[in-house]
Amino acid sequence: MQLIPSLDLLNGRVVRLTQGDFATAKVYGEAEAVLDALDVPRGARLHVVDLEASRSGRPIETEIVRKLARRDLVVQVGGGIRSLDDARRWFDCGVERIVVGTAAVTSLLDALVDAFGPRRIVPAIDVRDGVVRTEGWIRESAVTLREVFARVEALAVPEALVTDISKDGALRGPSFALYRELRRATRVKIIASGGVSQTSDVVSLARLGNVSGCVIGRALLEQRIDLRAVRARLAAQHAVPERVIPCLDVRDGRVVKGVSFENIRDAGDPVECAMRYEEEGADELVILDIAGNRSSIDTVRLVAESIFIPLTVGGGIRSVGDFRDTLRAGADRVAINTAALRRPELIAECSREFGVQAVVLSCDAKGGRCAVRGGKEITTVDAIEWCRRAEQLGAGEILLTSVDRDGTNAGFDIELLRAATSVLNIGVIASGGAGRLDDFRDAIEAGGARAVLAASLFHDRVLTVGDVKRHLAAEGIPVR
Amino acid sequence: MNVTLIDSPVANVANIARALRAAGAELHVTRDAAAIASAHKLVLPGVGSFGAAMAWLHETRIDDAIHEAVANGAALLGICVGHQLLFDASHEMGTTRGLGLVRGEVHRFDGPLPVPQIGWNRVHAKGSLFDGIENGTPFYFVNSYAAREVDSEIASAEYNGTFTAAAQEGRVFGVQFHPEKSSRAGLRVLRNFVACN
Repeated sequence: MQLIPSLDLLNGRVVRLTQGDFATAKVYGEAEAVLDALDVPRGARLHVVDLEASRSGRPIETEIVRKLARRDLVVQVGGGIRSLDDARRWFDCGVERIVVGTAAVTSLLDALVDAFGPRRIVPAIDVRDGVVRTEGWIRESAVTLREVFARVEALAVPEALVTDISKDGALRGPSFALYRELRRATRVKIIASGGVSQTSDVVSLARLGNVSGCVIGRALLEQRIDLRAVRARLAAQHAVPERVIPCLDVRDGRVVKGVSFENIRDAGDPVECAMRYEEEGADELVILDIAGNRSSIDTVRLVAESIFIPLTVGGGIRSVGDFRDTLRAGADRVAINTAALRRPELIAECSREFGVQAVVLSCDAKGGRCAVRGGKEITTVDAIEWCRRAEQLGAGEILLTSVDRDGTNAGFDIELLRAATSVLNIGVIASGGAGRLDDFRDAIEAGGARAVLAASLFHDRVLTVGDVKRHLAAEGIPVR
Repeated sequence: MNVTLIDSPVANVANIARALRAAGAELHVTRDAAAIASAHKLVLPGVGSFGAAMAWLHETRIDDAIHEAVANGAALLGICVGHQLLFDASHEMGTTRGLGLVRGEVHRFDGPLPVPQIGWNRVHAKGSLFDGIENGTPFYFVNSYAAREVDSEIASAEYNGTFTAAAQEGRVFGVQFHPEKSSRAGLRVLRNFVACN
């Protein structure tokens, strides 16, 4: 997986456009200075776009590109290449590859491959809502995605740059669904472009298998992503199993379940559920005492004595003493929620006393704010800010529940997850809204979650833990 | 098989006891140094800080008892911080000397992935302790510190680089993961230890 920094050039400087609109150009500085600041390793690929050329149809920034190409970098350049002469001018500047957008669906692609060989040509394919776009994002092309890739494949071109232009620059994440569709449609390797805004995006793209590189633009320029950290994380996280966690909401010694924390109904015996889930391959178990008064401590003890996987327990933890008692009852980790919102120092105290690994912050988010008392009361505290604070105070992981989605089976709140995982170093457990197998994949892949949690889906046997793990594995996400 | 579990105050001994029993051990849980010194098979658990665990072993003279048992041919299994205690030293909050039963030192493993490591991680293992366990099987870890590339390594895993997931020197074994939380694979490791001669 190659990380390819992208520099868009306009009037000799590095800029970013939003949705391809020249009027929105934001200037970052001189190309060489910007590049120096990015800490790009020697021999890496660099993606350069000559924006003015893409508008006017002839190479403009040749002097800057010549300077960039003199560095120990594999430079690919794109922007309005319409003829063999244009291509030759760029190659004369010392670039390794040219990126041809508009030409990808014209006969020029054949001529370029003929003249320079398939490895020096990178077709750039812009897609909006599954349709191929050409001409600097203005005109719509009549050919289908499959037809374009059939041409690319027939010419023995190994890689194509694919941009979902509905997402470019919007920081909402790469188009995993598009790249996955292309995995079925073509053997051509994909250079993903657009939407890469956090480290987990790169890990998720790498797991797809058909993505050989990703272009990182704005996220790099705005220092949301650090290349060195991404490389290390890519190496380390690629094969680390992600977790599937059934959650037992417990009251009066029974597992119960409601929708958006209301309309509570019985869902079984805690010990029976727990043992079944371990058997099915659950990686961990969460028990939440929904009465919020720690009346379920005996249930915790019984469950802890019947399983050999980690157990996290939350609900009504108000003090270091409550925390200790819960650990003594057999919990490996304890989740704090309302009490920490009232008195944040509780996180630090528990972290000091029992270790960072034992402290889980449970955050119930409703409309972006923290909810307390089982979702009945909405505070003024911003949920993401609170998660960041909890990390600083010593929480080891965040259990992030979307109250809006809880029990709805409408899917995890991916935007909420991304908002959290893009700013946190500690792991996030996605909770609230699981309904279909793909929801679990999306929470990890697009949401950046390190674990996925569900309750009613498992209790009602709509899906088993095994179903979810098999699905994740089939989608390239490592599981135990 | 008779197994003596050291009843450390800085460990969740109950969980390990339950797992050892499930793995077939006739368990004796004790803090009595004399009983530990004469044991044939010992388990040393531990969570929390290396320094606190080592201080307790020293105060209770259980450190000497462990050395005596090992010198008399006892098998020993250290778990998590119990595994770290087997090494020469740890660099957790300054340098603290360990039991010195296994050569090597314990370091913090800083890097791009968050520390502590919390979760399942694939273990690449060899040797009798991992009999019946497929290479690459995940075990459950909770740790901020680990030994790296020690001569006695019998299992490794990747987290901010390669670290020692298990070590063995003669009849002294250590596992950095929590077998009592690693479901079937963890119970198999314990069963292998309980059954070893």
